Amino acid sequence: MGLQPFETVVTAHHAEIYRYLLRVTSRSGEADDLSQETFLRAYRAWDGLNDDANVRAWLFTIATNLARNYFRSESRRRRAYAGVSDVRSEVDPASPEETRRFHETRALVERVVDGLPLKQRLAFVLRKLHDLEYDAIGKSLQCSPESARAHVFQALKKIRLGLNGHELPMMESVR
Amino acid sequence: MTTKSPSCRAIELDLVATATGDAEVGSAERVHRHLETCSPCRDEYGRYRAVDSVARALRPTPPAEALAKSRAGLESRLADLRQRRVAYRIFPSPLGHILIGRSEHGIAVVEYLHGGSSLRASRLARVEGVEAVPGGEELERLQRDLLDYITGRRRSLDWTLDWRLARSDFERAVLEATANIPYGAVASYAGIARRIGKPSAVRAVAQALRWNPLPIVVPCHRVIGTSGRLTGYAGDKLGLKHQLLSVEGVKLHAGRGDVSIAREAMYALGEGTTEYCLPTCADIGTRSLSMVTLFASRADAEARGLTPCSDCRPDLHPLSAA
Repeated sequence: MGLQPFETVVTAHHAEIYRYLLRVTSRSGEADDLSQETFLRAYRAWDGLNDDANVRAWLFTIATNLARNYFRSESRRRRAYAGVSDVRSEVDPASPEETRRFHETRALVERVVDGLPLKQRLAFVLRKLHDLEYDAIGKSLQCSPESARAHVFQALKKIRLGLNGHELPMMESVR
Repeated sequence: MTTKSPSCRAIELDLVATATGDAEVGSAERVHRHLETCSPCRDEYGRYRAVDSVARALRPTPPAEALAKSRAGLESRLADLRQRRVAYRIFPSPLGHILIGRSEHGIAVVEYLHGGSSLRASRLARVEGVEAVPGGEELERLQRDLLDYITGRRRSLDWTLDWRLARSDFERAVLEATANIPYGAVASYAGIARRIGKPSAVRAVAQALRWNPLPIVVPCHRVIGTSGRLTGYAGDKLGLKHQLLSVEGVKLHAGRGDVSIAREAMYALGEGTTEYCLPTCADIGTRSLSMVTLFASRADAEARGLTPCSDCRPDLHPLSAA
């Protein structure tokens, strides 16, 4: 990949990779370390990358590998589930009542997402928060696109079940 | 939870995909047809829509300072890595496996690999502060140039060199003096010592060239003993020196286990002059090789801006090409 200087890759993707790692580790310190490591690894491999490679998906693969290594340590995993999260998310306020309900639901969803098995959680975040294609998610998780789709489906089902009995924010009606 | 009918179960995956914007056109139509007649699934669909919308709002918005700090930390580490990075390529050649390495400053290393054809066999793997990474297409071009040079199809390599692998100022001075020996010419270790202003440091010159980080490109194969013998090359690779000099047209005598320059078959340049001579001109043939540079051909000498000696007239009486 000799055509594009690496600086442009950092400019284009650093913030997104940082957000991804913040979402999956819930820790700004880890997001900082792992996002830097992602780009250092990418830089080392940059010359050998094909010119037609999907750089963004490739960066997500590196970041995902680093996140998975990070979670291999059982104690860290427990800490991430139980700990105080550094994550602040986007809010889309409508009426005050709707905003309250939205916040409550998001907190619930967040708890379910943080408790998902790692592959389901990563697949879910890559698809729903970063809109990656299933091909790319499969590459990141070293599984087929179909398995990646199944992970996302399972994650959605679990989130849906986690919201049983909870009043959800208003969505536009069917059709 | 109520038990779902078989038709609801069958459509569940497509329903979730449709509600969360992940369905193919055909299956979305099927789902919507089902929803028209199934109230529980309609409700379920609405809840998945809500889940999807909330899920997308989980995208974190870290404080701008945190992002900027992380970015600055990354830039600084990248700058450090860029300084230390050497992209390398290993390829077979008539002289065995060769590694070339390029830093952002220029070509930093050319190395004959022995004991393998991987990075582990290279000194790059052991030099402190060097980050060796596999190189890309640009190194392929350098590989072609170098192979052309080794086989005589090319007579110069206009490469920018990175001298940072020279271990001292002395070594660097030796390497730069050696880099000035023209194609098809030979000088002696003692001659190099004189040229860098350290005429007694002959052994140190030989040692410095033994560790030449850029052989072939910095042509230490063109440096010989004052006796005319080839002496050493890259440790124990005297055969390679012989090969490289032969390609450049340098005349050699191969004795038993010993190769030396055929001085009588080469043009000579004395110190402090710009005229090249026949080996029989005045005392040039007996002068110490520490004060003489030998050229394989008139073309090589004249390519360096030298002119024929006005006494012995090598232009009128050229040495036979044989």
